[in-house]
Amino acid sequence: MIRFEPRTERDGLWTAASFAMAVVAGLAVSALLLASTGADVGQVFAALVQGAAGSPKALATTLVKATPIILAGLATVIAFRAQLWSIGQEGQVFAGAMGGYLGGQVLAGMPPLLFFPGVLAFGMAAGMALGWLAAQLRNRFGVNEIISTVMLNYLVIYLLSWLLQGGPWGENGATISYQQSPMLPEEAFLPALFGSNRLHAGVLLPFLAAALCAVVISRTPLGYEIRGLGYNPEALRHKGVNIARTVTIVMMASGALAALAGATELFGVAHRLRADNLIGLGYAGIIVGMIGGLRPLGTVVAGLFFGGLASGAVYMRVLGDVPASLVPAIQGITLFFFLCAGVLARYRVVRVAFQ
Amino acid sequence: MNQLFQEAIIVSILAATMRTMTPLLFSAMGELITQRAGIWNMGVEGTMLTGSFAAYIAATTTGSLWLAVLAAIVAGALMGAIIAFMTATLRVDHFIAGLGLNLLAGGLTLYWFQSYIQGRAQPTFSGFQDVAIPLLSDISVIGPILFSQRALTYVALLTVPLVWFLLYRSRYGLELRCLGENPKALDVKGLSVTARQFAAVMIGSALTGLGGGFLMLGFSDRFLADFTAGRGWIVIVALIAGNWKPKGVLVTVIAFAFLEALATHLQVLGAPVPHQLLLALPYLASIGLLMGVRFRSGQPTRLGIPYKRE
Repeated sequence: MIRFEPRTERDGLWTAASFAMAVVAGLAVSALLLASTGADVGQVFAALVQGAAGSPKALATTLVKATPIILAGLATVIAFRAQLWSIGQEGQVFAGAMGGYLGGQVLAGMPPLLFFPGVLAFGMAAGMALGWLAAQLRNRFGVNEIISTVMLNYLVIYLLSWLLQGGPWGENGATISYQQSPMLPEEAFLPALFGSNRLHAGVLLPFLAAALCAVVISRTPLGYEIRGLGYNPEALRHKGVNIARTVTIVMMASGALAALAGATELFGVAHRLRADNLIGLGYAGIIVGMIGGLRPLGTVVAGLFFGGLASGAVYMRVLGDVPASLVPAIQGITLFFFLCAGVLARYRVVRVAFQ
Repeated sequence: MNQLFQEAIIVSILAATMRTMTPLLFSAMGELITQRAGIWNMGVEGTMLTGSFAAYIAATTTGSLWLAVLAAIVAGALMGAIIAFMTATLRVDHFIAGLGLNLLAGGLTLYWFQSYIQGRAQPTFSGFQDVAIPLLSDISVIGPILFSQRALTYVALLTVPLVWFLLYRSRYGLELRCLGENPKALDVKGLSVTARQFAAVMIGSALTGLGGGFLMLGFSDRFLADFTAGRGWIVIVALIAGNWKPKGVLVTVIAFAFLEALATHLQVLGAPVPHQLLLALPYLASIGLLMGVRFRSGQPTRLGIPYKRE
């Protein structure tokens, strides 16, 4: 017989083994899911790998797909490390694209060195405003941030729907089924790297942002407060830290990161404002942040993995008839096993003799 | 003539309120059972969505609406088992477990749905029709509002006194409330906390799934992505605003349903405001409601705190 006993100390090898088991279990259940709909499991997995990393073009797509997910994931890391369960990333991604689009109109004609930082700042400001709002609702009115951010997500999505249909930003002649803005002018496209038109310069942002997050969390007073808020807010209060102020800063930083994802997606990939490109990015970010163990580096790794999956899904759809929503399904399944593995890593398995 | 028209509209809005209330009420009563047992289940949205999806699949494959109801209940209970396993057995943070469930349910249902309709026209079904209660439904004004509704609407209204009785007048309810207030007392008596939380979450989630099922069978003829559109979160708001009491939750749910019915009617009548603003009303109201509600006296003391034997 075996028994589970809590560990007093973490064991690196056992932790790694737990998460490796989670990956295997996640893949196995995903295979079962595929089989449940009659798909050829081997063929689908081969297509996914081929589409994720099979060619330079596939790798470029993987990076592009991973970019917004990692940014939204870092937004999750900052908030969740402080035990602020914001799920406003979804709405903040939308806000980032909307703010960026507004910035694009205001700053049109500026030289690129001013234009691109400018529009990204516009986008981030919109995300920060949403984060600020949720923080105020929590600080002043005691509104749980999970619920307020969900409600704000819906409000932002309806706002975009109005802006594009009935409001000022719709494409002329757009109908209900075709909600989008006109195409951006070509000089507003994020410049391409290596002359490849697929790989826009925005793919560098997640890596810079992850490095920044890692430094802030582990090496700055703010990072200390973030971690403290997660471990023991009471102790932090007794040290004289203004909790409400920290909550506001964290929510705004988280909002800015998620919004950056939306703005990058607008200027780098979609080149026009529409919901189709943005839906689900925030939720994917939440999954990636949690699977990444709420660490910046882990989030980058998980984000690249799911970016690869998303890129592979594009390729897979060209080949066969497996729906693209396979990706969020695999994400949800993997997240579930990672949550279990996180618990398993804290236990040791002991063999006990029958008595 | 004008007055007749106005009266007809008011009757129609109130009748729609009753119908709109039904799924919210099932799910809210389910979540009330779950939360009174100390599990802060944030997975209501995912549970309702799965219930809706299961009902859709069952209705379109078997053609039987009552089998579809059963499918929604079973799907809800399964979701409850996952939440219970994560929170009561593994003691994962309740918020994390609920969020995880929502993301899992969203991904799985969408994948199965797209696979189901792949390469063909989306199958539809015809949902529940009104059941007019003889004599009573002929009363003017009150008749069409109260006595000419879907059968499950009457059942939903019945769950309120039933849940009240279960919570406050039965031995099981005493134990259940104890799970939320002082689980140690049960443990000391040698009664299993985990097993009871499992039972409570599964029963509660079965009701929540039924709410999602009715949303499908009473309002629609097909499934769509994000079908539940945040109603699971409205249910959580209703619980907080209703101070975790059956009557308070009922009142809040009716208020939300009235708002939604009003918004739909304004939209149809062509009110001079963007329809997005009308659709956004319940979410705006949720934030406003939570800002106003300051009393939390009914919140179970141990809500959301995993029980650990020290």
